[in-house]
Amino acid sequence: MNEAFEVMKWPLIACLLLPGLLVYLGLHIVRREIIFVDLALAQVAALGSALGIVCGYDPMTWQSYVLSLGFTLVGAAVFTLTRTHDHRVPQEALIGIVYVVAAAAGILVLNNHAEGNEELRRSLIGDVLLVSPRQVLRTFILYVAIGAMHFIFRKQFLLISFEPERAEASGMSIRWWDFFFYAMFGWAVTSFVQIGGVLLVFTYLIVPAVCANFLARRLSALLAVGWAIATVGSVVALYASFKMDYPTGSAVVCVLGLCLILSILVCKLRGSPHRVNEPPGH
Amino acid sequence: MKSFCLAFAALALALPARAGKLEVVATTPDLGAIAREIGGDHITVADLAKPTEDPHFVDAKPSLVVKLNHADAVIEGGAELELGWLPALLDNARNSKLDTGKPGRILASEGLVLLEVPATLDRSRGDVHAAGNPHYMNDPLNGRVVAEHLCNAFSQLDPASAAYFRANLKKFEEQLDAKLAQWQALLAPYKGRDVVSYHNYWPYFAQRFGLKMELFLEPKPGIPPTPAHLAEVITKMKADNVRVIVVQPYQNRKTAETVAGHTDALVLDFPSFPAAGQTYAEWMDGLVKSLVKAFEARKQVN
Repeated sequence: MNEAFEVMKWPLIACLLLPGLLVYLGLHIVRREIIFVDLALAQVAALGSALGIVCGYDPMTWQSYVLSLGFTLVGAAVFTLTRTHDHRVPQEALIGIVYVVAAAAGILVLNNHAEGNEELRRSLIGDVLLVSPRQVLRTFILYVAIGAMHFIFRKQFLLISFEPERAEASGMSIRWWDFFFYAMFGWAVTSFVQIGGVLLVFTYLIVPAVCANFLARRLSALLAVGWAIATVGSVVALYASFKMDYPTGSAVVCVLGLCLILSILVCKLRGSPHRVNEPPGH
Repeated sequence: MKSFCLAFAALALALPARAGKLEVVATTPDLGAIAREIGGDHITVADLAKPTEDPHFVDAKPSLVVKLNHADAVIEGGAELELGWLPALLDNARNSKLDTGKPGRILASEGLVLLEVPATLDRSRGDVHAAGNPHYMNDPLNGRVVAEHLCNAFSQLDPASAAYFRANLKKFEEQLDAKLAQWQALLAPYKGRDVVSYHNYWPYFAQRFGLKMELFLEPKPGIPPTPAHLAEVITKMKADNVRVIVVQPYQNRKTAETVAGHTDALVLDFPSFPAAGQTYAEWMDGLVKSLVKAFEARKQVN
């Protein structure tokens, strides 16, 4: 047990501290029905660091980080401008297109590079097992800052995500708030992709949020349930990864997948179907 | 009385070493196989890379960190082979016995002359290693040098077993020398033959046995095959009547089979490392014999 803790200490700290913000952002994302925006932004970020590799910057350097962040902001701008009410072209379609194009472009960019395949794989599944203390602390500080922003402007952010019609009616500048939201969201996602990869960041954002929507309704309850599921799932997954010697990131993804099945079962047993689309607090 | 005291002192010295066997970790199974033969039952050996895994990229798993955390010594191939994964694992294992410069950090490539040391280093030429081609273990004579190096390193870590290690080394060398003569005789009729490989993995093997392994399915080391390059390889194979392609377990066999389909060549599985439980000589024996068989098979067709 002691040894398990010794080996899994920093992955555990990363998986306990960092999903806090991701789960909260995930509630926004689920409510906005743009589930795949994180995959798309993460892939755009990965494209940025792929370009960095070709320019000779290793994935962990600041140059690479700036590049992937720059790409993410461009992606954020694109998604801000494409939030439309035109139902012939749903935003989900554009998000999907951004995802596949960014992924394919990454393959093209790295085609002539020796570590290309490895890098593509790493951006997908990450290396949360080998996370460094510095990386965890740096990302945690960033997350606290983003979390603070979300706390200060919670009224505006909750309004544009949860009740966009009312936000529009109130005359606030939805475009700017949207961009602000996507920019910070993209920054959070980019930072976590460097640690855990695209699959893990998607899982932490979406799975606890969806589980919570099956089990609770009020925002505070949604958050509590989401955090609880992320925490318990992470601990179980890291322990299983150690005991059975599975790759750590993929173990977390699968355990949280099981949590979702459990949540659905609990929801069905209680016989109180919660519609994901219902606004909270009603 | 004096001799009794001496014997007692010797026993006291020997005991601590014997009570806990030397725990050795090898990054790749070829190094592990030789370490097992030299260390015998006085050491335990654990490998990090699986025999079927690409030694340039090894997936991090908790057990690898644990192995390094417990180890008294780690044997690395060096020449940048493990650059992409070993440093991060070592960082997480936090084992000061394995720090660079400590006797527990055994660099197998030390003292070997490596091939293909680039004059200038330029990443645009693919996955080129500054120290030369790191796949030196497929020359049996390099394996012999590494065995002696390991014997010395183990003896320094466990002086009480030095004579035992030395005896094992002698046995290893005698067997390998006898085998090498056999292998050279087996491959002698095929001197100068061309063999295509997927990655530039076998220049040491080719040099030792007088073969030419200079055509690769990869356009540059580590870069996946492109259609234009494969077309070029097919043309060259036809022109020079090259009829054998070797692939390693983690490489895309389909690519090799496509090329073979155009050139009537044989695709040969060439394991990069000894399988679990196999000795170094058994692995080399398998490589040589399967290659000889392939050469024979293609001779009959001609």
